[in-house]
Amino acid sequence: MIELLQQLTFLERGVIAGFIIGLICPVIGSFLLVRRMTIISEGLSHITLTGIAAGVFLSQSVVYLGFINPLYTGLIFSLAGSLLVEKLRQIYKHFQELAIPIILSSGIGLSAILISVTPSNTTEWFNFLFGSIVTVSLSDLGFIFSTGVIMLVLLGMFYKEMLSISFDQEFAATSGISVRKMNFLFAVLIALVISMSMKVIGILLVGAMVTLPVAASIQFAKSFRQVVLIGILIGELSVLGGVMLSIYFNIATGGMIVVTGVFLLILTMLIKKITRYASGFRLSQS
Amino acid sequence: MIDVFFQYDFLRYSLFTGLMIGFLAPFLGVFLVVRRLSLMADALSHITLTGIAFSMLLGRHVTFFTALNPVYMGMVFSVAGSLLIERLRFVYRFYKELAIPIILSAGIGLGVVFISLADGFNNDLFNYLFGSVVAINQTDFYVVVSLTAVVTGLIILFYKELFFLSFDEEQAVIAGIPKMPLHFLFMVMVALVIGISMQIVGILLVSALMTLPVACAMRLARGFKQLFFYAVLFGEISVVTGLVSAFHLDLAPGGTIVMANILLLIGTIILTKKQSL
Repeated sequence: MIELLQQLTFLERGVIAGFIIGLICPVIGSFLLVRRMTIISEGLSHITLTGIAAGVFLSQSVVYLGFINPLYTGLIFSLAGSLLVEKLRQIYKHFQELAIPIILSSGIGLSAILISVTPSNTTEWFNFLFGSIVTVSLSDLGFIFSTGVIMLVLLGMFYKEMLSISFDQEFAATSGISVRKMNFLFAVLIALVISMSMKVIGILLVGAMVTLPVAASIQFAKSFRQVVLIGILIGELSVLGGVMLSIYFNIATGGMIVVTGVFLLILTMLIKKITRYASGFRLSQS
Repeated sequence: MIDVFFQYDFLRYSLFTGLMIGFLAPFLGVFLVVRRLSLMADALSHITLTGIAFSMLLGRHVTFFTALNPVYMGMVFSVAGSLLIERLRFVYRFYKELAIPIILSAGIGLGVVFISLADGFNNDLFNYLFGSVVAINQTDFYVVVSLTAVVTGLIILFYKELFFLSFDEEQAVIAGIPKMPLHFLFMVMVALVIGISMQIVGILLVSALMTLPVACAMRLARGFKQLFFYAVLFGEISVVTGLVSAFHLDLAPGGTIVMANILLLIGTIILTKKQSL
């Protein structure tokens, strides 16, 4: 098994990682969509950048901390960020939507400073920002795989509670579900999904992977389950298409994945418009 | 410390531009935040990146664009983006908040593709993302001056209408205020201000300059006019301290400006907490 893993080429590793991400992102995205919180993925992904910048900075400037993998500091920061968002929502009770821009900009601001003090070349940063499929190492693949499994298990265990909270928070609270615990769990899940996907699609583009597939699937889906399933289908298609196109045209992978996602979204909008028009035509005929 | 900014032309330009941006961005930001559109600034700034990348790509093939500052193409894209957001809000009638993440991520995604087609992953791009102290030349400076005059003039001219729209949209529409033209005008102004500010502050941080000073001011202000005053005050303080420290410590100015802002924000939150006790 291990030998088999070690025989994987860098491309195969990247494609496997892409498939896991294409599966997980739309699942989390569907929950975010019905909770009307899709934008939080943007805020947290930007703060993950701060974590990564801090990780790189520490590992390069402090000798004892050379072992730090920036992925893990990114994870910690995005967890802290998700808790901070909740706190800011309480402070700005009447302008709750301010919490996300505040977190987003402070995340980027701090990372801009950390990046400019770290003696590191820009290519490495661009890989973090925009993703690169060829830099997925075996340990990264392990990280992506294990977080993916953890997230699926957690979601499977608490699926009912999550669903109930997402659609009717008050009803969920009265039926005995601890809303605070579930919200915390949800924050953990979002933080996990961002830190696992950022290696392949890049920090600035994780939000796209979470939002675009579900935005496309909600045009057709007739139930929550369908939102998830069609979302996964579109997510996988855009990952696969994006990876293939990016290798073929030698373009940054993250960008190509997102552009494929955008293309699929536009396609679904067109199909929906045509079908609506066609059904209207049929109605007027009969 | 600050006198070095008056010794060199390029620093003087960026200082004055910074001062004007520190006025303009929070000024428009007040309306954005009050209308609950603060995320709009993020979406538009990200789509500005697409425009800049597109201009960089064109510059490699068409000579006309080589000489043109990519920022202008960025402004065009961000105006187009604001129109597209309105359109998407209409498509997703039940999930209106989806429009902004869609535009934001599509903008970045497309931008990345353009950049990698133009082989633009270099230091220039880094300056566009996080800002630069030396990016302003004389022409840019004059553009900023005229834009400041135009935007301030327009806001003063339409102050009453915008104020009415921000607080009670329905009644404003009934009272006969043309909502869509005004909204469009406002969005164009936001897009233009994002375009000019990003040269100093950087694309990823422009929105911070529009929302953070307002978020600070909100904790202190006791009226709409005070909100403007405090927002502009905090904006200017953070721009000046940010620019000076960025130059002396050799950091990205966007980062220092935003961090100065964040410190102000934390300060005001702590201060006002004590007051309310």
